[in-house]
Amino acid sequence: MKVSRMNDGFDLVEYGVDFAEQHGASYVEARFINRYDENYTLRNGSVIGILETESLGVGIRVISDGGVAFGSTDQLTKQNLENTVLRVIKLAKLAQRKDPIVFSAEKFEETKWNTPVKQEFQEISKEDKLRFFKTVEKRQKREAGRALKNRLLYLDMLKDHKYYMNNEGAKIESTNSVISLFGYFTAKVRNRTEQRQLGLGAAKGWEWITEQNIEDHIIRESLALVNTTANAKSYEFQNPVDVVVSGEVAGIMCHENVGHPSEADRILGREGAQAGESFYRNLWEGDFQPGKIRIGSDCVTVVDDPTYSENAGYYLYDDEGVKARPRKLIKDGMLNDLLMNREFAARFNCNSSAASRAYAYDREPLTRMANTYMAPGDFEQEELFQDIQEGLYMKSFTEWNIDDRRFQSKYVGLECYLIKNGELTSQQIRRPILELTTFGIFQNVDAVGKGYFAPYGSCGKGDPMQAVSVSMGGAHFRIRNVRVGRGL
Amino acid sequence: MELSNELLQFTVDLCKQEGAKDVVVKAVQNDEHQIRFSNSQIDILKQWFCNTMDILATRGKHVKFLSIQTPSKPKIKAIIPKALKNLASEPKSILYWGIEKKHHTYPQYPELVDHEIGNFIDRAPDYVNAAIQSSIEVGSQKVAGVLYWGKKSTGVLTSNGNGGIYSSSYYRMTVRSFFDAESSGQDIIAGRSLQNIESKFIEAGQNSAEIAKMAVNGVQGNAGYYDVILSPTVAGNIFGELVFGANPLMILFGISSVGEKVGKQIGPENLTVSDDPTHPEGIGSYPFDIEGIPAKPTPIIENGKLVNLLHNTSTAKIWSLLGFIRKGKIGTKSTGNSNLGYIMTEGIGPRTLFPKPSNFVYNPGDSSLQEMIENSQKPTIYLTSNWYTRYTNYIEGTFSTIPRDGSFLIENGEIKQSIRKIRLSDNLLRISANVSAIGKNVPQIQWWEVRIPTFIPAIKVENCHITTATD
Repeated sequence: MKVSRMNDGFDLVEYGVDFAEQHGASYVEARFINRYDENYTLRNGSVIGILETESLGVGIRVISDGGVAFGSTDQLTKQNLENTVLRVIKLAKLAQRKDPIVFSAEKFEETKWNTPVKQEFQEISKEDKLRFFKTVEKRQKREAGRALKNRLLYLDMLKDHKYYMNNEGAKIESTNSVISLFGYFTAKVRNRTEQRQLGLGAAKGWEWITEQNIEDHIIRESLALVNTTANAKSYEFQNPVDVVVSGEVAGIMCHENVGHPSEADRILGREGAQAGESFYRNLWEGDFQPGKIRIGSDCVTVVDDPTYSENAGYYLYDDEGVKARPRKLIKDGMLNDLLMNREFAARFNCNSSAASRAYAYDREPLTRMANTYMAPGDFEQEELFQDIQEGLYMKSFTEWNIDDRRFQSKYVGLECYLIKNGELTSQQIRRPILELTTFGIFQNVDAVGKGYFAPYGSCGKGDPMQAVSVSMGGAHFRIRNVRVGRGL
Repeated sequence: MELSNELLQFTVDLCKQEGAKDVVVKAVQNDEHQIRFSNSQIDILKQWFCNTMDILATRGKHVKFLSIQTPSKPKIKAIIPKALKNLASEPKSILYWGIEKKHHTYPQYPELVDHEIGNFIDRAPDYVNAAIQSSIEVGSQKVAGVLYWGKKSTGVLTSNGNGGIYSSSYYRMTVRSFFDAESSGQDIIAGRSLQNIESKFIEAGQNSAEIAKMAVNGVQGNAGYYDVILSPTVAGNIFGELVFGANPLMILFGISSVGEKVGKQIGPENLTVSDDPTHPEGIGSYPFDIEGIPAKPTPIIENGKLVNLLHNTSTAKIWSLLGFIRKGKIGTKSTGNSNLGYIMTEGIGPRTLFPKPSNFVYNPGDSSLQEMIENSQKPTIYLTSNWYTRYTNYIEGTFSTIPRDGSFLIENGEIKQSIRKIRLSDNLLRISANVSAIGKNVPQIQWWEVRIPTFIPAIKVENCHITTATD
């Protein structure tokens, strides 16, 4: 498919790529992004801020003399672009690397892709958008009551019109629309407070609000928070016990314990001083071979799929012009695939898995996740509880973190219930703690449920920080014989 | 277009002409560079030129925030009338209660620029390589890091005639050395002056390598309660989280643990922390805030007591009103910390007028790091770096964070063992109350996990909760 030239930004991209080649760049790529971002922030029903911004810019990355450099400009003139190109070529030469950087050979296309949107958010009036918040606020007050003291909502609607080109044949025009809602709620009951961070989002238009019943979802979580604050009690388990986690908790575990260590740039040390490295680095000698290293039990399959259009990390071509595909990171418990950009694919002597993403026109693309999830299994949710004598069901979480090699993780439960004699009880457990290694979680999984739920996340990586839209979720799963710490 | 008083005045006048009463204009021209390195080689060099203008225009409590890229008179003239057409029907902001009315003059701005910064690109790659080499000479297998430097011109003008144009420059580098996959050390340098800069790079490389060397042969740490010595890097993150909460917006949003602590003792007598925009080496320094209020230091914690929150004019009025309702007291004033931009994290979330810290400055204590170690007769852990601080509950301050790079068990006044795979799971207020010693040296820290430039010494805290992950 031929991409038509539509505006100055497109012309500049094509001119910049040619100009860089003529001036000594062995590789050059240019990205023009016209971004429209609209967001609403409200606290307890009152507007904190409404913002509509539009930005335009071109980012250029080159390889020259084996060194890489990146620059950007928001002054979209030929002269400025030439200056930017000449500067980045000069910068690349200053790297003076012993090992020149090369990119993997890939097939490129001239093509277009768009997020499937039914109702453009720009077509919805400000009054209608505020009406959504008004209804939520009214219902939160009525249904969750006075205990829900603090209700912070942030709705962001972002639309990127992008044109990407490199000097190896890629010309890709895309329009990507992401809508996301972040809630931060505090409930207070008898001097005890609990807090909930809620992330929801999709690569959709305004239709997402109604199709996904976002209003109901917020209300359900608000009520759950109030109930947890009022009723959850600290509980001492006779460890080890069995734990069932929801799609939400499965998602953060798959993202942190599987997705991040699968990033090839971390494995080979490029994020050493920032997001850190990966425990995968020590798992094999020589070339990476799929299916040789056990990460989880046989029933664990973790997928990262940018092509799933329902989710927030949707894309069909990455920011290096490589066609996206689902990545089965763990297949039947075995390490199967990695998240690669072209630089690290070359080092692994394979093809890119199209995981290169840049947050904005003025950021270099990095190896990133998209939509990471625990692939559904065969179990009904009730079946997961059936043979547990005493255990924990963790439905949502609060505090979490993981070491920078992505092995020692901690997940503190928020909405959590006691499982007793094979059944889920209504007894809520206060802040149970799962402080487990990646192997400790995934090698003890013995059953995976049928469902799928994937909350929104803003995944941070890089320096300067690049927070890209992702989703993370999947199916419920059961972890056998692990220690559950007592929350206070 | 060059940043000029004329352009700022043109923008303010146009906003007023279109019906705005209060106007704040901030224009920034930024020229920044970065070098990222890993595996002992430079990975990428970057340069950013940005030219932006942020505008806050209000009519009563109706507020409009605008951001214009590459502002020029024709562009401003095209955007503002359209954007402010319906200003009076914009939703009212609960946070907007006005800006500084008094007109200020500024005798002499402090010098915030090292003019050598313009040519730093010619030397920076060599200095990075010198830092890498100095680390390798100690024995590192590989070295990673990031160096930023830049020059910025900032222009501020309000509808009350406050503001001006000033320039500033900075550099900061994080260098992380690895002796093996799990034995690493980190050092940070940050400041404005490029004097003796090469020796600072070399020293940072060496320091990070020395920690990595000590971290070799680390063993699994044991869970329990320990006294803990926090390096400036770790203290900057943990205490930074506490002090960052001394902000009315953080309290309103439920993400501060000091909301009920104003006027109360939250630390020992020797814990004193200020916000100081006048610090000559402070990366966050400025001559006046976004409302044109002259910069001045504001004590936040004085002799262990939380004495002030950081305010702008609007939050000061809100707090005065709340103070009157609750205690019959009024009189909260702006501390000169008004900012226009992202509230929470750069690039994410709402942008508006809000109080923002400049540089956190901790008073030095009377202990050297060596003395803190020697005086540790109980089992004590020395943490040199950390990351991933997250909360179960911000209001309580219940959190955990993960030590990374060298962590060391101290017994009988000596470092006995490199330990790893531990987590500090505790509470901000408990940690603040349990400070037992404060270091003498006060370096400036700014990196991934310490966003606000912070001058902070090593701090020793008694009885901290260390946890570990099971298999």
